[in-house]
Amino acid sequence: MINSIKIERAIRNMTQEELANRVGVSRQTINSIEKNRYIPSTVLALKISKEFDKTVNEIFELEEED
Amino acid sequence: MGKNQLDLPLLPTPYRKIALGLLILSVLFVVVTKTEMLLIDRGTVKTISMTGILVSLLVLALTKNKIEDELTSRIRLRAFAGSFIFGVGYTIVWPYVNIIFRDSFFSEKGSTELLLAMFIFYFLIFYSMLKKR
Repeated sequence: MINSIKIERAIRNMTQEELANRVGVSRQTINSIEKNRYIPSTVLALKISKEFDKTVNEIFELEEED
Repeated sequence: MGKNQLDLPLLPTPYRKIALGLLILSVLFVVVTKTEMLLIDRGTVKTISMTGILVSLLVLALTKNKIEDELTSRIRLRAFAGSFIFGVGYTIVWPYVNIIFRDSFFSEKGSTELLLAMFIFYFLIFYSMLKKR
């Protein structure tokens, strides 16, 4: 699964730390999600999408192998 | 911080300090009795110190991190699973090690040593995965 969190953060000039604090996780968790090392839970994916005023599908996208 | 999908029933973070204190006390107890300042039976010292060490390690393993989110919970579960598999492997392999290295350092390891090894393995996995996340 790929995601556009890094791009969305850059658009809003938001740091990983800021996003992490807003959604209630650690900065390292946001970093792991951005680097596709960790797939977040549905709840966290919804929280992240809400922060960017977008739907989950707009932020997270399935890859062919998924 | 809200609930996450892998929410584990863990102890609050301040318990870490209590556990570390108990661990230090248990180790100090062994050191003090080794210097023969206290004249206590060797078996009793071993039982008391090992109980203290095991309880403190259990509390440490079951205490929340400063930021306990879903990735931390996932890492914790993996570390628990890893240490369980390690424990089973240890139990299977150890009798054969005993046969090969009879009357040496490797012989006569009981359940306490198994639990200690499992805890050490758990902390190694947990903290190395936390660092790599």
